Amino acid sequence: MSEPDHIEEDLQDLYENAPCGYLSLRPDGHIVKANQTFCRWTGYAPDELIGRRLHDILNIAGRIFYETHFAPLLRMQGFFNEVALDLVKKDGAAFPVLVNATERTNAEGKPQFIRLTVFNASDRRRYERELLKARDELKAFAGTLEQRVAEETVERLRSDTALTSQREEAKLREQFIAVLGHDLRNPLASIIAGTRLIQKSKLDEKAEATIIMMQKSVMRMASLVDNVLDFARGRLGGGLTLVPSSQPLEPALQQVVDELQSTHPESIIKTDFALTKPVHADPVRIGQLFSNLLGNALTHGLAGEPVTVTAKTDDEFELAVCNAGDPISPAALERLFQPFARGEVRPSKQGLGLGLYIASEIAKAHGGTIDVTSTPELTCFTLRMPLLR
Amino acid sequence: MSAVVRNNVHTAGAGQTAMVFAHGFGCDQNMWRHVSPAFEDKFRVVLFDHVGAGGSDLKAYDPAKYSTLHGYAEDVVEIGNELGLKDAVFVGHSVSAMIGLLASLKARGMFKSLVMVGPSPRYIDDDDYVGGFKEQQIAELLDFLADNHMGWSTAMAPVIMGNADRPDLGAELTNSFCRTDPDIAKEFARVTFNSDNRADLAKVTIPTLILQCSEDVIAPIAVGEYVHKQIPNSELVILKATGHCPNLSAPEEVVSAMRGFV
Repeated sequence: MSEPDHIEEDLQDLYENAPCGYLSLRPDGHIVKANQTFCRWTGYAPDELIGRRLHDILNIAGRIFYETHFAPLLRMQGFFNEVALDLVKKDGAAFPVLVNATERTNAEGKPQFIRLTVFNASDRRRYERELLKARDELKAFAGTLEQRVAEETVERLRSDTALTSQREEAKLREQFIAVLGHDLRNPLASIIAGTRLIQKSKLDEKAEATIIMMQKSVMRMASLVDNVLDFARGRLGGGLTLVPSSQPLEPALQQVVDELQSTHPESIIKTDFALTKPVHADPVRIGQLFSNLLGNALTHGLAGEPVTVTAKTDDEFELAVCNAGDPISPAALERLFQPFARGEVRPSKQGLGLGLYIASEIAKAHGGTIDVTSTPELTCFTLRMPLLR
Repeated sequence: MSAVVRNNVHTAGAGQTAMVFAHGFGCDQNMWRHVSPAFEDKFRVVLFDHVGAGGSDLKAYDPAKYSTLHGYAEDVVEIGNELGLKDAVFVGHSVSAMIGLLASLKARGMFKSLVMVGPSPRYIDDDDYVGGFKEQQIAELLDFLADNHMGWSTAMAPVIMGNADRPDLGAELTNSFCRTDPDIAKEFARVTFNSDNRADLAKVTIPTLILQCSEDVIAPIAVGEYVHKQIPNSELVILKATGHCPNLSAPEEVVSAMRGFV
């Protein structure tokens, strides 16, 4: 060891130039002694500090805090530690410090003076304020996040509930439509079967005509029921359902012609079927569509003039039904495919006004369209749809 | 929960008349440790902590209720009702002088006299009125609060709250007295230093003793004189003591001034 074991410490110098400030106060807060370090930090000469109160070199907030917090704490526990204060330097600038204090009492417990150790805390204060700021920002962020999660959850629950009840309602509607369809169609089927049975016996001319009229009415009734049910399904239920197949369409079309011809024996129906390519479609639905178009043509067409039906498969499937007679007014044309769009003319001849709506829905379901052209000479409804979907 | 539990009420002494001590902003009932024992011979001494301070139930802190001094005054009335107080003496330090004043107006007959230690009905200057502070300075004070957590950290909170009766909680905990949740302290500071009870002073009819320190940055002499002038039946005593807490720095002087009054 080349260094001596003991170095004589200069206690006076330790007090004056310690790496911290020392202040001694009277119990009433007046400064009685300050070390060089403290004076250097604050810019005051020692004699400028002696006799002043600690208050005088604190900012306002510090004064309030010293009086309301630190002074009581010091009296009650005899010390305080790690108190943050801002000293006001001689030039007016703030000097952040951390202060520890002890109270020196006499034998009777009376306070004699207060000793303060003052540490420069500029960097630490800056850092702490950054931490506090970060904490506040985090708190604010957590607050908004919490709120957003809460709102999302409420919204999700609400839409889930709405969806569930919508599904349940839709299911009920489907069941209702199915039951209604069954109950309405069954009696009609019985009546038709009954009239056919009667037709087999020998009938006079009048009875024969009455039976045909009854059959006509029943078929009209059946078609109205179908339309109502399809409308209900389209609007309330799961929409029109297709059972597509590639079976030839012609028999289905011919059946419609035959049925309507039998109920309209006085009308002339000219057909021109040129179905050379297979059409991928639901034959029952296409028959229904065709029945609506042909029925309209027979009802509204000029008596004595033929209704012409053409069907062909060139690039697409095209089915046109044309009749002579009064043209459809432009106003009626606009609303023709809307449900309950009964033409302004001759309302007595109309049904519910659902036929064309259903027909257009069937066309749409097949990826096709129904176009109308109406001139004083000829009114045509033309279905165009792709051969394959 | 009863107010007695919520406000950490402690009673001592055997007198007929009750004497209720209320601490001010920054500390708790420990503030009265050198004053209240002197009255235990003739009075039933009642000590408590405002909600948010000392050993009070922090869960009872309701920012809406305590957004004005009336919330604190209601607590005083509730404590008084639970203890069956009648014709008691209310001793309030600092902001609690005004809290006691409001309580005495809410429950007439509960208190027969008021002792106000360092009262101020308004801390902020206003036209001719000198309260001692500018609005800006109070704003700085609220910021400053964040710099001193007063021995409070989240880790320490359970220890503190688990020791409601904690006079024995000694020096092993740094700054073990006057702990407050910093958020609550900040709100209490905001409410205290923005309060204005000047219009309530003239409503006081019961005898009132005002103890004014000779040098007090929080409640200067001019404020004490103003309070004295506004309260009809009041007596102003200027103490030799300096600072804002004569109950700690000069308890004998406070006790003797109070004895002369009660």
